[in-house]
Order: sequence, then structure tokens, then C-alpha cells
Amino acid sequence: MLLPNFTYLRPNSLAEAVEMLNSFGDTAKLLAGGTDLLVNMKHGKQSPAQLIDLDGLGELKASQTKGEVMELGAGLKAAQLAGGLGGALPQTLALGAGALGSPQVRNRASLGGNLATARPAADMCVPLLALGARVALLGPAGERQVELPEFFLGPGLTSLAASEVLTKALVAKPQLGSGSGYCKLGLRKALEISLANVASWLLLEDDGKTIKEGRVSLGAVAPTPILSLGAAKVLAGAAADEKTFAAAGAAAAADARPIDDHRGSAEYRRDMVAVLTKRCLSQALADARRN
Amino acid sequence: MSAAYDVIGSRAPRKDAPAKATGAAQYLEDLRFKDELAGALLQSPHAHALIKSIDTSKAKALPGVVEVITAEDVPRVKYGVSPARYDEDLFAVNKVRYVGDEIAAVAAEDMATALKAVSLIEIEYEPLPHMLTVEEATAEDAPWIHDEFPGNVCAEVHQEFGDVAAAFQECDLIQEGRFVSKRQDGGFIEPNQCVAVYGQDGMLTLHSSTQVPHYVQRTVSMVTGLPMAKVRVIKPYVGGGFGPKAAASPIDLASSFLAIRTGRPVRMAYTREQVFLFGRARHGFTHEMKIGVKKDGTLVALEHSATLDGGAYSSFGIATVYYSGSLLGGPYKLPNMKYDGRRIYTNKPACGAQRGHGAVIARALFEQQLDIIAEKLGIDQVELRLKNMMETGDVTCNDLAMSSLGMRQCIEAVADGSDWTKKKGTLPKGKGIGMACGFFVSGAGYPIYRSETFHCTVTIKADEDGGGVKVLTAAAEIGQGSDTTMAMIAAEGLGIPYDMVRIESGDTDFGIDLGAYSSRTTMMTGHATKEAAENLKDMILGELAQELGVERTRLDIKRGLVKIAGEPVDIMPLRVKYIKEHRGWETQPEGKELTFNEASRVAYLRRGTLVATGKYKPPVLGGKYKGAAVGTSTAYGCSAQVAEVSVDMETGQITVERITDAHDCGQAINLTSVEAQMEGSVGMGLGEALFEEVKFDSEGRIQNPSLGEYHIPTIVDMPPMSCIVVESDEPNGPFGAKEVGEGAIMPTIPAILNAVRDAIGIAIDETPLSPERIYMALKKAK
Amino acid sequence: MQKHILSLTVNGKEHQLLISPNKTLAQVLREDLGLTGTKQGCQVGDCGSCTVLLDGAPVNSCLVLGLQAEGREVLTIEGIAKGNRLHPLQESFVQAGAIQCGFCSPGMILSAKALLVKNQSPSEAEIRQGLSGNLCRCTGYQKIVEAVMDASHKMNGEVAS
Repeated sequence: MLLPNFTYLRPNSLAEAVEMLNSFGDTAKLLAGGTDLLVNMKHGKQSPAQLIDLDGLGELKASQTKGEVMELGAGLKAAQLAGGLGGALPQTLALGAGALGSPQVRNRASLGGNLATARPAADMCVPLLALGARVALLGPAGERQVELPEFFLGPGLTSLAASEVLTKALVAKPQLGSGSGYCKLGLRKALEISLANVASWLLLEDDGKTIKEGRVSLGAVAPTPILSLGAAKVLAGAAADEKTFAAAGAAAAADARPIDDHRGSAEYRRDMVAVLTKRCLSQALADARRN
Repeated sequence: MSAAYDVIGSRAPRKDAPAKATGAAQYLEDLRFKDELAGALLQSPHAHALIKSIDTSKAKALPGVVEVITAEDVPRVKYGVSPARYDEDLFAVNKVRYVGDEIAAVAAEDMATALKAVSLIEIEYEPLPHMLTVEEATAEDAPWIHDEFPGNVCAEVHQEFGDVAAAFQECDLIQEGRFVSKRQDGGFIEPNQCVAVYGQDGMLTLHSSTQVPHYVQRTVSMVTGLPMAKVRVIKPYVGGGFGPKAAASPIDLASSFLAIRTGRPVRMAYTREQVFLFGRARHGFTHEMKIGVKKDGTLVALEHSATLDGGAYSSFGIATVYYSGSLLGGPYKLPNMKYDGRRIYTNKPACGAQRGHGAVIARALFEQQLDIIAEKLGIDQVELRLKNMMETGDVTCNDLAMSSLGMRQCIEAVADGSDWTKKKGTLPKGKGIGMACGFFVSGAGYPIYRSETFHCTVTIKADEDGGGVKVLTAAAEIGQGSDTTMAMIAAEGLGIPYDMVRIESGDTDFGIDLGAYSSRTTMMTGHATKEAAENLKDMILGELAQELGVERTRLDIKRGLVKIAGEPVDIMPLRVKYIKEHRGWETQPEGKELTFNEASRVAYLRRGTLVATGKYKPPVLGGKYKGAAVGTSTAYGCSAQVAEVSVDMETGQITVERITDAHDCGQAINLTSVEAQMEGSVGMGLGEALFEEVKFDSEGRIQNPSLGEYHIPTIVDMPPMSCIVVESDEPNGPFGAKEVGEGAIMPTIPAILNAVRDAIGIAIDETPLSPERIYMALKKAK
Repeated sequence: MQKHILSLTVNGKEHQLLISPNKTLAQVLREDLGLTGTKQGCQVGDCGSCTVLLDGAPVNSCLVLGLQAEGREVLTIEGIAKGNRLHPLQESFVQAGAIQCGFCSPGMILSAKALLVKNQSPSEAEIRQGLSGNLCRCTGYQKIVEAVMDASHKMNGEVAS
């Protein structure tokens, strides 16, 4: 399988990248790890006239904590995030990054790429949604930040403009008493696109027995990763126990909007959302108790 | 290692492993030819359509395009796998029968140009109603996919042995069951590829990633019209076959025509997607069985019908539909068996032979039903098998003779090895243990074309200097280890060390070999190799006897040394002569006994170059009924497996925790290779049981033509396996050997089915056992 | 399409090549450098047979542009033996019978090598995780796991190379 022809550009800085993007309008595409874009190009689904290669930009690979916010560079590889960044990363994101593809794919797939390609089951997107993350988008007019629910518009569609580069994901620094989890259901135990996946985040009260706030995000059961508002309602102020988690699971299943496709039926996916949510919340609870 | 043998039975490292480990091994994509052209196919986007017109003018006009061919540019010679079903045209003649059906081929200076040219070929289609299921294809008003096959029935089999209806009257229990399996794919990691080279001398050399150089040679000769003497097929290193590569492919033929017409080498390769479009892999089967038993568990009768979803062409399918029935005649005593099978054409890629051929799913249902019977009768599943199994010397009701059958040892080995008695019936809900048995031919009893031809011939030439030998065979090493096995057999047959044997294979110039299919190579090519080796030994010793002035019968070769029985003989004159000839060498032969090296040299000096040949074909086998040929073999490998599973009762996910596998291969030639084939078979069986399914949309397009969406097991899906090699010493096999390559897959699917039933209390009647399928079965049962 | 100069180190040797941007690293290695040990089983990152080490990390070279290897170090299967002396992993694969058709072997061995650099004494589960991106249809993976385990024992104590 061949890649189509294109003009290759390698910007030396983020600013240069934005400039290049701006000058080509929408004929250019950004390239980082290529694990999605190059596959599409080989299949003839995408044929950008220019590829702007961000893969080598050190600027995009930084991670730092500014106050209560963790800034994760869009160029960080899934493999790096899977490693947890020295324990700093919320568990859900580390687990999600670690569940993506395969070791080889994780060494190439970038955080920004995973966000920008916005697949409904994306292994880093679903956790980031549960973490209440924002993304930073840099365009010719400067930087703007977008909450993830506003960022994901449809399968493969985001509010990223043609002239913008997604530069960072911003995540709240994990607080004491918070925990998160990630559960992925696939056919095989590796190299899988999820049939359903769920990420969870919990913040416990000081007593460690009551949930102050919780979020559940769902993958593969809607055109984008989605937050289950129903589950969040169940969790707020509830006891941190199996009964609550099961109820949250039922609420999440009700919020899910799965379709039938060749991988699985809507009914199965919906039922699995309930199961995975329940398990994912237990995971988050264990994580919260550790922290 | 067997005490009786010096080389056989050991774990000799494979001859080809170092080249593969270092990247030096050259597969088709690694070979380079001067002035190569890139070839590409135009394939139908419609599942069923008439072709109203083809316009190749724009494609031909594209700079860089050297040749464009369609049906009107090639002889109208139909081909296929079996002469009884030559139903394929290389390029569509006025109609296409599946998405992927070949219509034209282009040769161009580079691949991008070839693909562009393909896109410029203009075809006017008139879509026809397409039939994607057996139900649609056999409906009363269904259009015929092939004019010659009314009602889309590709083949029909009706066989009865004994009297099933009468036998059922004597039964205490009649168990009925049904099973549906899906079309699957070979999943070999190296996609099909070939390069055709047509020389000035009119010689066509086709380099192809194939399992069957000989069949490909015949097909290319037949379709191109070139005489056999002008067609040579060479198989380089091949990255797996498993059945779908056991016939000439459209790219083998298209590249040949393009090479002939352009005078330049033409390379054609399938992308992974095209591998799926090519298919020729596992059929989708529907089996229905009624098994009659006595209350003490004695098997009495089987009434069996099968429907095969065959795709648009026959390929191997004519044999498949027979295998589906015939290989239930054993390994248990079954006096009455009725089989009605049909293979139906549908507008999808053709299905063919894949590891275990038509017998795999039939075996799965049969073994599952046996388990249920055992439970209903209150008999242990292992005991039921032991009670009914055949023994060495028994013959099935359909005339398959078990010249050796280590079934008892296999069953006992896996029962012991898995702690069956402790675990069976004591595991908690969600955990299960299940077992199954199976058997398979050691090579089909008859070639795919009617002929008295030998199934294989082997040549062994002794080095003139005496220090080694070269084995030449047209056999196909496709990863299963046949080169190493033949080298070991040659070494044992000659009485020399393994590393004195060199081997070259896979070239039709070297002789006849039907190829790597039906698990035949060890049995058949092994025989031919053994014969050649023994003939060469005889030649050498014959010359040596004369040279020494002793009776031939006093001489033998063992471990590279000449053994002389009886009165001592002075070998020094011969040694002195050898040393004189090799003046200057630092190392010279020494020791009290003459070396093979010296003996072989003596023979050369007396006689010139020594070449010996061997050949093999099975004796006439099988009964006199229609289809009797299919299922016949000189010997049958057999196996038993125990699978242990955990089922996640909330999601339906199955984890196979452990497999205990025992396979009777007669005599392991290379012990490591036998285990390796057992483990690989289990891997494939597990994938087919749990994950694998080729899916189609309503337009007949494959929805998952990739290794990302067609799921073969990854390393984390495979359990640890305990593989036990059983050796029953097959009298019809070379050094007692018989097959392992395909028989070892037989018990895998049913062992897993039975373990899952043990875990969840439900017999699943459809593969793959996806999490959703299990979950829905559990949900429904609640 | 304009060609670019690519400077990279492959198996310890520096190269400067003029290549089209639409060539993958797999193609550059195989076609421009004649290193055909890297295989192409699927072209889209599903099978791992094209695995090479890019600055020590296993990647599917079919999904890396040749130009993305600029200034970087690539290790292919041809680079791990020393003349006729096989790397312990290669030796173990040969001895254990972990190679059948061999098409997955180069990628498998390189993934294993990267694993053993990171983790000198992996458990069986860790070996399986580390090789989870390399598909094999022939072996059922059993002898591959044994080979990697065996190699790790052999290599322990030696400097990871």
C-alpha cells in the first residue's frame, strides 16, 4: 500500500507550525505519530497536499504543573503517559494510554493526535473527559482553551480549526481523596478497538466513605466520547459502595446511545456500559483510598 | 530422543532458523529482479453483475503503463483446484461473481502508475441480484451464479454406511444438535506475492509464495498454453500458508501472462485487504447431527447433514464437502453413518481448504454432542471416549483404516496432565474444563487430479569429495519444518550426522511433490527421502564392498562411520589414498573405522557422481463408493485436548486458562517441530473458536479485511500449553511417522466449547464464542 | 514531489539518502538500504512484522515516514548479530523452536530485545505484554515466550546491548 504524494514540511517551532498551517488553508494536515493519519492516507481516505510534521517538536513534549493544573504537551506519546509520568498522572489516563493499540503504536501515538482524531472510543479521550480536561488550541490569533465536551463534535470531528494546533491537554492536578479508573472491553486482550470503554473519576469526602463528586465518561456508545450526566447525579453525595456504583452503572447505561455495527450490537454495548461503569468506579475508589 | 535412532526424534535445530532469525531469509518481497514491472489487478466492486463493456484505452495511454490485459487477451481456459470443478476464468468473461472478482491486470513501471492505470479502466456494469447467504442462494427464484450449476449447488454428497434408520431403532438415546460456524481467514502473516519471469528462451519461471509449486506449475501451463517443460515454479521462503496458498492464485496467472507479453519480470502482490478478497480459506458451515447411542454409552449411529457456504467458485470446496462427512467415521467405532452434504455458491470470495479442511467444524459439533450424551447418560466424558474409541487395526464404516491409533494414550495423557478427575464437576460457576478428540489424514490418498503419478520424488546427490550430501525435493517448506524433517530423515537413512545433509526444496525442477497440504509431507516426502537415502547408502556401500573385497551385507553406516561386521578389515590403504589426495589439509580422517566421507569418496572414484532417487505414492486406498477417495490416507494422526476456561459472567468474555494437548504423530522426527505444530494448531483453533469471523455488509463487501478487525490471537490471548507427544509407531510411515500439521487443530474448538458449557451450563451452538454471544446466551437463560 | 535528504543511523552506520517524503521507514530500510529483514505483513500497523527499534523503542516502521527518522538511530534485525555470532535472543529463538515460517520473527525478536533492555528479568506475563503488538500465526507463541525467557537468563549479568 502506498502513501499518496504530498509536500513535506518540518517546522522548527510551534509558531512556525501555526504559520505554515495558516498559509495552506485546509489542504494541509498536521502529522505527529501518524498511527491514524498515515493509515487513512494509505487507504485513500485522506490525501492532504501538505503534511506538517510536529513529531520532532520538543515544545510539544513538555509536561508541567502550574498551580493546580497539569499541562500535558500534545506531543507526549501514549507510552510516556502509560508510564504515569512518575506517578503524577491520574490513573485513568495512564491506564487509557496503556490500553491503546500495542507497544509499537504507543511509542508513536501522541496525546494530541488521539484528541484531534476524536474517535468515539479513543483510549486517551475517554479518560480525559472523565477528568474534566480542557485542550489548548493555538492559532494565528493566539491560544484559546476549550472544554472537552465542547471540543468533541462527532466521530473524527472537533472544534479544532484548520489553522490551529492542539498544543496541550490541561488536567486538574490529582487531589487528595480523588481517584480514577479505566475499563476497556474488547474481543482480544491486545490490539483492540473497544466494544465499549468507560473512565471514572471520584472525589471522596474527608471521611473517605462518601463521594463528594464523581464523573463517568463512556466510549464507543455515542458519536463522541460522552459524559454520563445521570451517573454523575447518582454519585454526588452518595455512599462510596457497590450499591451506588451499580446504580451509577444503570444510569450510565441509560445515557449511552450505542448503535449496532459489525463489532457488536447496541444492546450488548449498553449492558456492558453498566458493568464497566460499576467496575471502573470500584477501581477509582481503590485508587482514591490509596491517595 | 528415541533410543532406536541417531537423528530421528531429536530436537535438531532447524536448518532454516538462523536465516530467519537474522533477516537473511528471502521471501518473495525480498527478491529483486532486473527491470521489474509492477502489476496490479482490477477487481469487481459488485457482488454480482454483468459486464456490458470494458474500455482500457485510457489505462493503456497512461505514461509508464506497459500492458493491460482482460479476458479477451488470454486463452479461455477454465481452471480451479479439482478438474471436476474447473469453474474459474482468470478474468471475468461477461460477469463478475463477487466483490473482488478479477477483471483486468496492468503492468507498469511502478506501483503508483499501475494503480492509477487500474483506476482508469472503465467498466460498464449491470448489477444483478446478489446472494450473500445460503438461504438467498438456494431460494426458488435465485439467479444462478454459474450457468452450469442450477440452484447454485456447487456439489452434493450423499453417503450411507450401514443402516442408520434401523440402527436408531436400537438406540436408547438419540441426541440432536446443530452448529453454525463462520467464514474465516488463513491469517498467514505474509500476504500472497509472486514474480513471473519470461526468458528469451521461452521459459517461464514463476517465483511464488505458494504451498504447492507442482499444482501451480500445472495450472500455469494449462492456462497459458505453455508446455510443462517451459514452466518452472520456485518457492522461496514462505510466510505461512495454512491452506489458502494451496492452489494457483489469480496473481500467479496474471503475472505470468503479463511477463509473457512484456518480456519483463512482473511482480504482483496482494495487500492485506486483497488477501481477504482472495479468500480460499475456511468455509462457513452449518451442521446438523443426530447421534444414536445405547444407554451404556456405545455409539451406534450418526445422521449428519452439512451445508457449506462456498463463495463464488469451487476452489478446494469440492473436497471440503466430502471431508465434512468422511472424517466423522473415526476415531470412535461407529457402525452406521449417513451423510448429506451440500456446498452452495454465493456471491462472496471463494472458500477453500484451511488447516483441518472440512472436518474441523463437523468435529466440533460431534464432540460437543458426545459431551452432552455423556452427561445425559451419567458417564464421564473421558470414559465415554475411551469406551468407544477405535484401536490400531480397526477400519471405519467408510473404509478408513487405522494402521496405528494412539488414541488411548492421548486421552489418558491429557486427562492426567490436566488433573481431569479432580477438576471435572468441582469447579465453581464461571470456570470450566472440557475435552475433545480428533483425527486427520496423513496426506490425501489421491492427488487432486486423476493420475497414477507418484505423490513425490526425491533426489539425493553425494558430494564428490564425499563429505556431505545434497537433498533435492520439490516439497514446500512453508514454515512447518519440512526441510529440516527431510534432512533428518536423509541423515538417519544414510547413517550420517544431520549437519552433513544440505537440502534445497520447493523448485519444480527438482522433481514432483504435490505440496504442503492435507498434512502429507512427513509421511509421503518422508518416505521418498528415506528411500533415496537408503538407495544412496546402498550405492556407496556397494562400491566400498567391491573396493574392500568383502560381501556387501557385512557393511553398514552408523553415525558417519562404516561398520564392518565379522572379521576385521584393513581400511588403511583406503585412508592413505584419501590422505594423499588431500595433501596439505591440516585435518585428516582418523580413528579405527572408515568414515562416511572416505567411503563416499571411494564410491565416487569408482563410479563417478552418485545420485539416488526415491519416490512414493500411497497404495490404492478406500472403498468403492462415490467420494471414497476423500478421507483416505495411509495413516491417521490423532489427538486429544483438554481446555480449561474462565468465563466473565458479567461480560461474557472467555479466558482460556490452559490447554493440555496430546497428539499421536507415530514417531516424532523432530520433536521440537512436532510440539511447535501442535501449539500453532491450538493457537489457530482458539482464534477460530473465540474471535475469528469474516463479516460482510449487505452489498457483499468485507467489513473487516484487516488484521486489526479480523482477530487472530495475540500473545496475551494464548494460554500456556502443555503439549504431549504420543508415538504409536505407524507401520505405514517413514520411521513410524505420520502427521501432526492439521490433526492437532481438531480437538481445540470442541474442547473449548465443552469447557465453556461446563462453566456456564449452556451449549453454545455458534462460533465465534464472542463475549456478546456468551453474554446474550446467559441473558436469555436467566 | 520534491525529494529530501535524510540523514540517519541504521545499525550503527550513518547514511545520507535522498528520498521521497511519501516513503515509509520500512520502505527506506528495505528499498534504499537493501535491508529486507524488516517485513511488511499488513502495512497499517496491525501485525508488528515491520517492527524496528527507533532510538531503542519498538515502532511499526510502516507507519513512520522515512523523513521522521531524521537524525535518529534505527536498529533492524540485521543489526543485532555480530557477524556470524547470533545475539542471545536469536540463539534462543533458534534453539527453542520459536521460529516456524519466520515472517514475524524479525519484528518479534526486536520487540523482545527492547523489552529485555527495559526489564532484564521479565515474568512470563511481562514478556507477553511486551510482545503484544507482534502477531504470529504459526507458533501459538509458546516457544517464543520460552525463548525470550531463556535469553533473559542468558543475558542477565551481561551488559544489555
